[in-house]
Amino acid sequence: MIDDATLRAWFFREVFPLEPALTRYIRRNWRNESEVADLRQEIYARIYSAARERLPLQTKPFLFTIARNHLINQAKRAHVVSIDHVAGLESSPVLVDAVTPDRHVTARDELRRVQAGLDRLPPRCREVVVLRKIEGLSTKAVAARLNIGVDAVEQQMVHGMRALVDFMAGGPGKIRRPSSRKPRASEAQP
Amino acid sequence: MSHARHTEEIAARWLLRQQEDGWSADDQTELDAWLDAAAEHKVAYWRLEHGWSKVDRLAALKSPSAAPRRISRLRGFWRPVAVAASVAACLAVGAAVWSVPGLFQAKDFHTDIGVRETVPLADGSKVELNTQTRLRTAVTRRTREVWLDRGEAYFEVAHDASRPFVVHAGAKTVTVLGTKFSVRRNGDQVEVAVVEGRVRVADASWPAVTPPPVLTRGDTAIAAGPSMIVAAKSVERVANELSWREGVLTFDQSTLADAAGEFNRYNRKKLVIADGPTAQMRIGGSFEAENVEAFARLLQQAYGLRVDDTGETVKISQ
Repeated sequence: MIDDATLRAWFFREVFPLEPALTRYIRRNWRNESEVADLRQEIYARIYSAARERLPLQTKPFLFTIARNHLINQAKRAHVVSIDHVAGLESSPVLVDAVTPDRHVTARDELRRVQAGLDRLPPRCREVVVLRKIEGLSTKAVAARLNIGVDAVEQQMVHGMRALVDFMAGGPGKIRRPSSRKPRASEAQP
Repeated sequence: MSHARHTEEIAARWLLRQQEDGWSADDQTELDAWLDAAAEHKVAYWRLEHGWSKVDRLAALKSPSAAPRRISRLRGFWRPVAVAASVAACLAVGAAVWSVPGLFQAKDFHTDIGVRETVPLADGSKVELNTQTRLRTAVTRRTREVWLDRGEAYFEVAHDASRPFVVHAGAKTVTVLGTKFSVRRNGDQVEVAVVEGRVRVADASWPAVTPPPVLTRGDTAIAAGPSMIVAAKSVERVANELSWREGVLTFDQSTLADAAGEFNRYNRKKLVIADGPTAQMRIGGSFEAENVEAFARLLQQAYGLRVDDTGETVKISQ
């Protein structure tokens, strides 16, 4: 059994840098865009459980094998995807993904990406994140400075954090506001 | 909200709370319990932690002496023009990143086989070097020049009418004001592909009276020695030619011989096409540049070709 500290370091070092490729892979092989985030989180959870037994020698094939199996299982369970789709998914050895660009990202590129992500936030959210995170003001001081409540600062920080993390992993970096929960096609099954 | 987003929202709140003052042992126990409740919780939390730590690094780059000054400067006009101030803060942060010493001093760049690298220039332009490329740069207050000694590079040139951006590739000079294009050089053979804007391609041996051709978006120029062909390809084809920037090779009705030549630029393990008819086969598709084995496997599966992998070479035959 691998302990959590080791697993966490492994996720940071080898799994999360593959997220842009993983997201593209899911998106290419799954029709419903709104389910991508759910599938990705489920895949990460499966990777966690599998890696707890033993860390793989090579992360990339390990990750994509789990991703592919998960998509196939979900597709079968949902009864919404044709058999052709599953067959295509199973026999696509070449186009798994071009993973190299992600690995070559330097610290410099990353900083620029953070900067670009900040620039994309809505003005109020960016203000809050810059003051709290970059300028290092306390939550209370930010609230006082902007003349808004502590709750509002916290909510903006939640939005900003999620959007920035998403953007740095190759996502659009848009703020996702809570919306009504729509059940997944697979969950609609009894 | 989807369950992933819901979990992520809670994870974000935990992570922010943990970074507040007054985080206690009891709080930690509570967080640990939440994390242990489901693998989804743990991975969502780690993922945010991982991404958020990069934002920390940006904050850490601010020099400690500069920070208090910036805050006091902002305090004066923050509230009346909050939006402008936040932009100013971002610009100030940007300046801190850009002025990190040592980033833009180097003038000589080269990449090894299979390696790509992006190099920022002092004027804000960007150069992306493809595999096995060597180039030198000189950016001064009055000139912007690059010498491509060999290989291929993609340029995103910051617009600056007062300083033309000049790429020297052997006898060819490519002159631009601000645009996106690539130059590939193999000995005296030079290929220029334009993604955006206009570039002028000239040859040192051409008489001064000949106006040098100007390429625009979607054009490709191929020159061997002093002669040159300008082909108005489609924008899409230029994009395909630049797919190396994503680590992908894209072929459209290319011969297998050409495709093998492309793969061999990126890999130590060489593809060898054993016979003429095989070399003339036409193929299409997108492939990972660094995955020769996968490409060979596809040739075997889809075209029924024979593949002999010796470790150093992959021989393809009928």
